Amino acid sequence: MTVAAEFRKLRTVRSTWLLLGIAQLVVVAGVSGLMIRNDDRTGSTAQQGAMAHVGLVAIFSLLLGVLAVAGEYRHRTITDAYLATPRRDRVVLAKLAVTVGAGVVFGLVATVTALVTTAAWIGSALSISSWDLWRTLLGGLAWNVAFAAIGVGVGALITNLIAAVAAALAWLALVEGIVAQLLGGAGKWLPFALGSALDGLPGRTNVPPQWQAGLALTAYAAAFVAAAVATTLRRDVT
Amino acid sequence: MTDVSVNGLTKRFGGVTAVRDLSFDVTPGVTGFLGPNGAGKTTTLRMLLGLVRPTAGTATIGGRRYADLTHPRRVVGALLDSIGFHPGRTARQHLLISASASGIATSRVAAVLDAVGLTSEQADRRVRGYSLGMRQRLGLAAALLGDPEVLVLDEPGNGLDPAGMAWLRRLLRELADDGRTIIVSSHVLAEVAQTVDQVVIVNEGALRYAGPLASLSGPGDTLEDAFLRLTDALERSPK
Repeated sequence: MTVAAEFRKLRTVRSTWLLLGIAQLVVVAGVSGLMIRNDDRTGSTAQQGAMAHVGLVAIFSLLLGVLAVAGEYRHRTITDAYLATPRRDRVVLAKLAVTVGAGVVFGLVATVTALVTTAAWIGSALSISSWDLWRTLLGGLAWNVAFAAIGVGVGALITNLIAAVAAALAWLALVEGIVAQLLGGAGKWLPFALGSALDGLPGRTNVPPQWQAGLALTAYAAAFVAAAVATTLRRDVT
Repeated sequence: MTDVSVNGLTKRFGGVTAVRDLSFDVTPGVTGFLGPNGAGKTTTLRMLLGLVRPTAGTATIGGRRYADLTHPRRVVGALLDSIGFHPGRTARQHLLISASASGIATSRVAAVLDAVGLTSEQADRRVRGYSLGMRQRLGLAAALLGDPEVLVLDEPGNGLDPAGMAWLRRLLRELADDGRTIIVSSHVLAEVAQTVDQVVIVNEGALRYAGPLASLSGPGDTLEDAFLRLTDALERSPK
């Protein structure tokens, strides 16, 4: 019943639909930009690169997860959630289940958008039966799922919505790059780098294979969610 | 018939003691939970509802902690200042979410909207455009959703106009006449004096008085005088 309530919460706020909509614009613009600049649009590299935009939608899945938790603190609806379900771990896990499901949907919708946009540029040259193409799409889907889960963790750890969104975006835009510099070779195990590795694009050196990237991101998600549950159980709701 | 029992309840936030060794019992009927702002009323109610973890002591409903109730919303309904609404959701959506999270039949939503006097048309508007009074009615609707035996209402009169206050008094009276246990907090005695049977008065986190409203004042002493004597005036008088 907590899951049903969480699902209703997700679909009764505009931000969910706004994030899904903007993500499609990003995919259309990104794929089109890649096609415009490319001399070999029908080549497998270009096509796989176009599909990799599904993975970038993970940033929106991340924000969706952050909003699912920190948004409740912002609007103080979290009190109602805990009054209905005093076992707070259940609330967090219900949010996790619903947000991860939404991450799958975000990934699938973006997949359709990427395929349709690419087909609009190259028509029947789209290698719809190419395994490499689907490998990138599946990797992008996995990236969405993992980031949705990490978003729930971030939102529960940083319950101030503005701070949580700022922290998430700052990490992706700036901080991870700096930390990667400091870490050197180990930088490929940072979250955004792992997401990129999930795309499985050819010609990249020094990135872990897709399956390792997937496992490592799952570990991040598990760590974030565990920390989220632990802090949520203890916190006073005032 | 469900009693609320507070035993040795204490809460410290860092170095500040918000509630100290507070004990009282609340029986069916309307009980006013009174004290000046900052007396620890809200913190006490939040501990009763499992939102704030007590430093020491217990608060139970029918002998059980809130978190241990199988269907908490069907036993206790709460209106707290800290319960917010998403401005983009309608009142009906908010209540449907609450009902669904609490395992309450969705048919109750229409019933509680009716009970607090929100029309169907109002219920389908986004909360963003609600007046303070309408929000307060929505909060009460959410509290009544589970048809609970116990109601915990923190400053329910906030935002209500005089007509709204009169309506609230009638509603509380009706609910109490059904045998419910109702705790109404307020920092203004006059606001609840017409409605309550029993009072619990706190100041600086400690109990000052618990008992029938009628026994609060003596000859030549108004209720207001007695209330002030038990709260502010105590601090000013030399020890």
